[in-house]
Amino acid sequence: MKEKVKIGIISFEHMHALSYSKALCNIEDAEIAGIADADEFRGTQMAAEFNTKYYKYYKELLETDLTGVVVCTNNKMHCQVSVDAANKGKHVLVEKPFAVDIESAEKMLKAAEDNKIKIMTAFPMRFNSNVLEAKKLIDAGEIGDILCIIGINHGKIPSGWFLDPTLAGGGCVMDHTVHLSDLMRWFVNSEYKKVYCECGNLIHNKNIDDCGIVNVEFENGVFASIDCSWAHHKNYTIWPQVDMEIIGTKGVLEVKACAQTERIYNAKEETVGDVAWNESGDEGLIREFVDVCKTGKNPFVSGLDGAKAMEVALAAYQSAAACRTVEVEHIQI
Amino acid sequence: MVNVALIGCGTMGRTHANSYKNINNANLIGVCDINMEKAQSIAKISGSHVYLKFEEMLENENIDVVDICIPTYMHKEYALTSMEARKHVFCEKPIALTLKDANEMVRFSEKMSVKFTVGHVVRYFPAYKRAVDAVGQGEIGIPKLIRTTRNQGFPKWSWEGWYMDYEKSGGPILDLIIHDFDWINYYFGDVERVYAQSLNGKAKEQDHCVATLRLKNGAIAHVEGSWAYPEGSVFRTTFEVVGTNGQIEFDSLKSCGIEKQINNGHHITSYLSPTAHSMEPYQAELREFINCVEADTKVSVSGSEAVKALQVALAAIESSLTGRPVTLKNYIH
Ligand SMILES: NC(=O)c1ccc[n+]([C@@H]2O[C@H](COP(=O)([O-])OP(=O)(O)OC[C@H]3O[C@@H](n4cnc5c(N)ncnc54)[C@H](O)[C@@H]3O)[C@@H](O)[C@H]2O)c1
Repeated sequence: MKEKVKIGIISFEHMHALSYSKALCNIEDAEIAGIADADEFRGTQMAAEFNTKYYKYYKELLETDLTGVVVCTNNKMHCQVSVDAANKGKHVLVEKPFAVDIESAEKMLKAAEDNKIKIMTAFPMRFNSNVLEAKKLIDAGEIGDILCIIGINHGKIPSGWFLDPTLAGGGCVMDHTVHLSDLMRWFVNSEYKKVYCECGNLIHNKNIDDCGIVNVEFENGVFASIDCSWAHHKNYTIWPQVDMEIIGTKGVLEVKACAQTERIYNAKEETVGDVAWNESGDEGLIREFVDVCKTGKNPFVSGLDGAKAMEVALAAYQSAAACRTVEVEHIQI
Repeated sequence: MVNVALIGCGTMGRTHANSYKNINNANLIGVCDINMEKAQSIAKISGSHVYLKFEEMLENENIDVVDICIPTYMHKEYALTSMEARKHVFCEKPIALTLKDANEMVRFSEKMSVKFTVGHVVRYFPAYKRAVDAVGQGEIGIPKLIRTTRNQGFPKWSWEGWYMDYEKSGGPILDLIIHDFDWINYYFGDVERVYAQSLNGKAKEQDHCVATLRLKNGAIAHVEGSWAYPEGSVFRTTFEVVGTNGQIEFDSLKSCGIEKQINNGHHITSYLSPTAHSMEPYQAELREFINCVEADTKVSVSGSEAVKALQVALAAIESSLTGRPVTLKNYIH
């Protein structure tokens, strides 16, 4: 029997760890070789669920013979954990946003390079079937050259550390700008130049930015807007919403990454909900990471991609504070 | 009975003429267009007299109201001439192309003691009204995030292609999304600051614009308009209002009463949204103005409100050209 690729999960602080772990279970030649979580209760529970070993300290997990780790700590911790993992020669898949500041992102990328491991950003939307189809249509020239893109990534407000800027690096602008800023950069194939942002604590009264509009401009002149608001109230029928309206010289593409749903009316519970029947992208993301671990190839969506997407969120906060357009500060590596 | 004379027998002229037919206390006595055929075809609707020269119509007919449906760049000239002759004026939106012209029109209407209104018809669209009612009844709490779209193909159909000449129409920011600027301004609050992006005629026969507004009450808005859709695209409007306690969404395409599919050699799908007689928005705005003239009451859409919407549009144009946000000065009239 061929040996399975051993992957460790570092923390379930970010709930995506759960869907990533489930996706890992569906990959024949991969196994979850251990789970580290500073929260003992959560960690042992998850280790039991995924039938693997629990570690209180992630550094102990890093001492084992893993090939790669999935980092789902709070955003602030991404840097330290990823650097430690890289120093132990493990490939790293880090949850988005890649980091919370330029300096951390640079450290992470450098650690990966120094240790000759691959660092990848968890952008599942890059593996979403609708998004992939859109990219194919764009590259085939079906809508001509892209002129501008209007994006919406609405969702419900998260809880816990997400609402603590010291751990999350910000509110909705940090949390929800990056999916779209990554996809747009990938579609447009140019780097970000300028950013303008209006945001604030407007609807949920949690003392953190929960609504935001980010206007961006690329080096090649294409412009775009990203609505990163946690705009959905609790009874909204679905989570999340990732939409793009892409205007090209020969046509328009409307992409709704999570549109494949059906509606359920539950009379007993008096609820109405839309459930997705399409796989969101987690599966492809995890499969890619396992491939990276197996072969050491360059990931389809890299750490640098994650860092570039984060630059937009950072510039957005600068813009909002100063009420002016700001030039995007680019990472130096 | 209120006697109405209409100038400009194009798209809007026809819409208005059809509306008067259903307004019992209005009598469309004269219609004027430099194109005889157009004038005659519209005169047929109510058996109106036909004129090629506006001055002749003014002299020969016993007019109470002049209805101005000519291209925007001529609004001021004909409005002032009508007011000078002490006629009440209904002017299609946008009021004018510059604040100077617009203010002059408002001031002159006051000086001549005639009623003056501008066709900000979105206020009369049933779906938009219903949303405003819901907000008024507190159904979604305090509105904080507003998104609107107004998308169509390039307006090639107009007389002399005047829409395509931004000197005459102002382009989509001034001509198209001024509808939404007025709606937002009037119902959700005055605008403090505008940041806008637009192709500004850079692409051939295509334009697309987005404006991010910060309202004085802190809410933010994203207003989108398009002249970039492929020829033959369905005209589509949407809005989304997110409040502190809920949200409202509307999409004209998703709430159409009729979807028609036919194949006469090639397949065509059309979407129709016929409204109940009493809800037809163009008729409603004209009826209200006619009643107001008859009963000598205050107009619903005042000239100064139209100036405000224009001010937002002009700030958006300035921002889209300079790449910087524009803070609105207190508007003077
Ligand atoms: N409220 C709305 O929803 C709405 C929609 C479309 C247009 N509009 C506005 O209505 C106005 C007219 O637009 P339209 O689409 O009907 O334009 P159009 O090009 O269809 O019609 C303009 C008409 O004016 C006539 N005309 C030109 N110069 C004239 C003159 N000196 N005297 C008499 N007639 C003259 C032309 O022959 C033509 O028939 C514009 O200000 C436009 O912005 C409003």
